[in-house]
Amino acid sequence: MKVNPNIDELLNSFIDGELTEREQTRVQGMIANDAQVAQRLVELQKCKTLVESLPRAEAPSEVLEQVKAMVERRTLLGEQSASFEASEGARHLLLRKVVAAAAMIGLVFVLGVVIYTIVVPTGSTERMVAVGHIEPDVRTGAVEPTTGLVAAAGFRGRLELKTDTLTAIDAFIKRAIEDNGLSDCLSPQGLEGKGVYSLSCSRDRLNLLLADLGNIWRKFDSATLFVETEQFAEQIVVDAVTVEQTVDIVNQDSREASLALAKDCALLNTMVASMPGRQIMTAIDEVKIDLVDIPKPVLTGSEKGLRKPADTVSEGPQASLTIVLVGSE
Amino acid sequence: MRSGPANINVDDTVLVEQCQKGDSAATERLILKYQNRIYNVILKICANPDDAAELTQETFVKIIERIDGFEGRSSFYTWAFRIAVNLTLNYCQRNVRLGLVSLDADSSEHGENATQSLKEFLSDEKSPDPVRVAQNKELCEIAVKLLMKLDDAQRAVVVLRDIEGMSYAHIAKVLDIELGTVRSRLSRARSNLRDLMEAIL
Repeated sequence: MKVNPNIDELLNSFIDGELTEREQTRVQGMIANDAQVAQRLVELQKCKTLVESLPRAEAPSEVLEQVKAMVERRTLLGEQSASFEASEGARHLLLRKVVAAAAMIGLVFVLGVVIYTIVVPTGSTERMVAVGHIEPDVRTGAVEPTTGLVAAAGFRGRLELKTDTLTAIDAFIKRAIEDNGLSDCLSPQGLEGKGVYSLSCSRDRLNLLLADLGNIWRKFDSATLFVETEQFAEQIVVDAVTVEQTVDIVNQDSREASLALAKDCALLNTMVASMPGRQIMTAIDEVKIDLVDIPKPVLTGSEKGLRKPADTVSEGPQASLTIVLVGSE
Repeated sequence: MRSGPANINVDDTVLVEQCQKGDSAATERLILKYQNRIYNVILKICANPDDAAELTQETFVKIIERIDGFEGRSSFYTWAFRIAVNLTLNYCQRNVRLGLVSLDADSSEHGENATQSLKEFLSDEKSPDPVRVAQNKELCEIAVKLLMKLDDAQRAVVVLRDIEGMSYAHIAKVLDIELGTVRSRLSRARSNLRDLMEAIL
């Protein structure tokens, strides 16, 4: 007999009582009219009966106790596991906190060092102030500084100038010092082969001298500025310094600013020196640096350039510059 | 007479609520109420008494573990059997993968008496009496072996219908399949059983 799956489904549903009343009537009609369908019904019915007739097995008596034991064991293990996981979690959390705290401390330390390096200059930032005894004038009542009183320390440095026309340049410097009324501020220390001029005066007066030196700056084979820091024997060296850079460094409002600018100039000049063709210097020369407008004296001849008379120069902040003139070999 | 699912559900709702409140006596009652039926279904699907006992225990442990999350969208009866059948079918698939089940149909594995009993059973033109069939040990052995030759999905449908007596709708819920799928799967299963029986003869 050829099996029709659709009829099989109908017959099985008929056997299982899963048909509607109408479907049951239809199947009953088929069975009554078709012997093959009736035979197939019996075959399927026997399949059902065979399975249905299998003896019912009873669960082992220990199932309940086993289930209880398993639940207890799993609960215990679950709690232990949860407890273990909780302690592990707590340890992990603590470790993470410690690591985070250490990282923060490290970061703060590094930041502190960086900020300290940026903010605080190489030496101490505190200005050195010489304290003297001030007594009012008995007659006028005015207070005048004593000779021993020194203003807050300003620029301190040394300018080394190398030239092959030592005699002429030395003579020019001496005359410039006299013309600018700086003789009183001078303590010449003649050394063999070099002229040394230690000047301690106001920055304005020093500017006048530097302005004169600017006229002959090109005659120097080299010019190096040593800016003293507060640290003993520590200096910032500005090689190939220009007169404009020197004036700018000397005229900074504070020693810290002078030191900072000196560092920048030193770096810039070093870079320029390492550049082929010195393109940067050319570019820099084209830029007008905002410097003090210095009247230029004339190097030779009897005519003097327009310049501010020494007696009209106001006394500003103090500066100490030692000019060292060295003959080229 | 077999107790139908509808009769069970009345008490089940109360027992489940008590279980969810932590009443261990209610839990025990639920286990005692269903352990034989669940064990029987599992045994008919997996055909191994030891494994069936273990799977039954595992079923009840899972029921207890998940009872708090049981929201009553289906009856407890359906839910419990879904857990049991799923566990058993997973077990069967695992065994097939491990090569622990032989799928070969071999008529020589049945004894002569069994074959004769089957021949008589099939040739009887009257509707066979289930009680008499149940008393025929050879026929029962053949039935168990033939059931195991069905694929797992067909065997589960046959067992739930002919052993547990579930309606098609319940079977669909337990196996999470369409009603039409239950109908066609059961039809194919019985057709296959018939073919296997004829193959023995």
